[in-house]
Amino acid sequence: MSLFATSRKQHGLAQCAPITDKPSLDRATRMAVQRVRRGEFAARFARQEAFDRAVAALVQKIPVGSEIAEWFANESLVPVKKRTWRSVAFNPAVLAIALAICVITGIFAYRVHEHMSDFPGAARARKLLAIAGSTRSVLLDPVKTEAGALGDLFFMKHRLEHYDVAPEFAEFQTVGCRVFDDEEVQRVAQIYLVEKHMQLFLFPAEKDPKTGIAKDFSDWRYVEQEGWSGAVRQENGICFMAAINGDEQDLRPYLVKEQP
Amino acid sequence: MTGDALKAQEAFQATVREAAMRSAQREAPADRLWFFRDARWRCLEAMKRDLQAEATELEEHDVSPAAPAQIRQLNAEQLAIWISSAPEPQRSALALYYIDEFVPKEMLSLLEMKPSVLGRLIRSARRQFQAWLDATTPHEEEG
Repeated sequence: MSLFATSRKQHGLAQCAPITDKPSLDRATRMAVQRVRRGEFAARFARQEAFDRAVAALVQKIPVGSEIAEWFANESLVPVKKRTWRSVAFNPAVLAIALAICVITGIFAYRVHEHMSDFPGAARARKLLAIAGSTRSVLLDPVKTEAGALGDLFFMKHRLEHYDVAPEFAEFQTVGCRVFDDEEVQRVAQIYLVEKHMQLFLFPAEKDPKTGIAKDFSDWRYVEQEGWSGAVRQENGICFMAAINGDEQDLRPYLVKEQP
Repeated sequence: MTGDALKAQEAFQATVREAAMRSAQREAPADRLWFFRDARWRCLEAMKRDLQAEATELEEHDVSPAAPAQIRQLNAEQLAIWISSAPEPQRSALALYYIDEFVPKEMLSLLEMKPSVLGRLIRSARRQFQAWLDATTPHEEEG
């Protein structure tokens, strides 16, 4: 529809704008009326409205025969149109609400799913995964040995008790290691492996604030953060985490291999 | 619509009878517009036998601020006569518009015309009615 035709249509709708407010007024007429009320012909439109109101008031005075009035009072000849589920479902307001509910439910479900597999210390593990993502092997003290041997080093050099590498990873060759203090996680031992540039972390388990006890767990629990995945196990109050740049499936073969 | 109350009543009653018959046969009219559409065509049919108003060029005046006061001096029959003497489809457009029951979309559906045509008919009728008011019920400017 051309601009000229649109303007002509709006002008036409303004000329036959409803005399009194009607809830079922369509958007095109509403727009046309609003435009003319704000435009240069606002005064003329106001005169038109006053004219129409006066005529309509006169029309209302036309007497209606009693017989006709009786028909309208007694007969219900037009069936009440029930709204179909389709018209309700495709109502823009209903669609918008449904979409909003879907998005909120999706976010809620994602959050629930994310925290369902959570365990004490999951937040710390995620933080260390972020550190793993930004760590380069050159930043660590170069140590070429088997990962399992570093437990003694941590104990002897840094007085870190029970900082033992899980048996599943004990035989992997290391590139380097370091021990650092983190404000939140406290003393962390980090080991860089040759194998797929995996990194191992050992850090204190999170204690239950009520009991003050960190409950160990022998099964592997998983966390993900920024494209990195970690498998965590807790023993003697120390968490061991193997981290890999990939997903949970990339870690599983290493964890199953050593199990009896 | 007819300029004759009796004819209009007959048309209306025929419409209501038709609706009642359809309802009895479980084919009730789909919506309320059916009544007005049917009644309009019955009125037009009834008017066919009568003298038809010619589409002549009537004098037109701009709508005056004094128009509401002028209109208040009229009685309903005068207005009904003026509307019924308009040529079709202007007469139907005026009748439907001043009943103040319909939104433009419904009127366009009933009259089967475009918004610009309906707008032109109503605008022209307003101006003609104003000219007629000025001729029959002159109103002195206040102040």
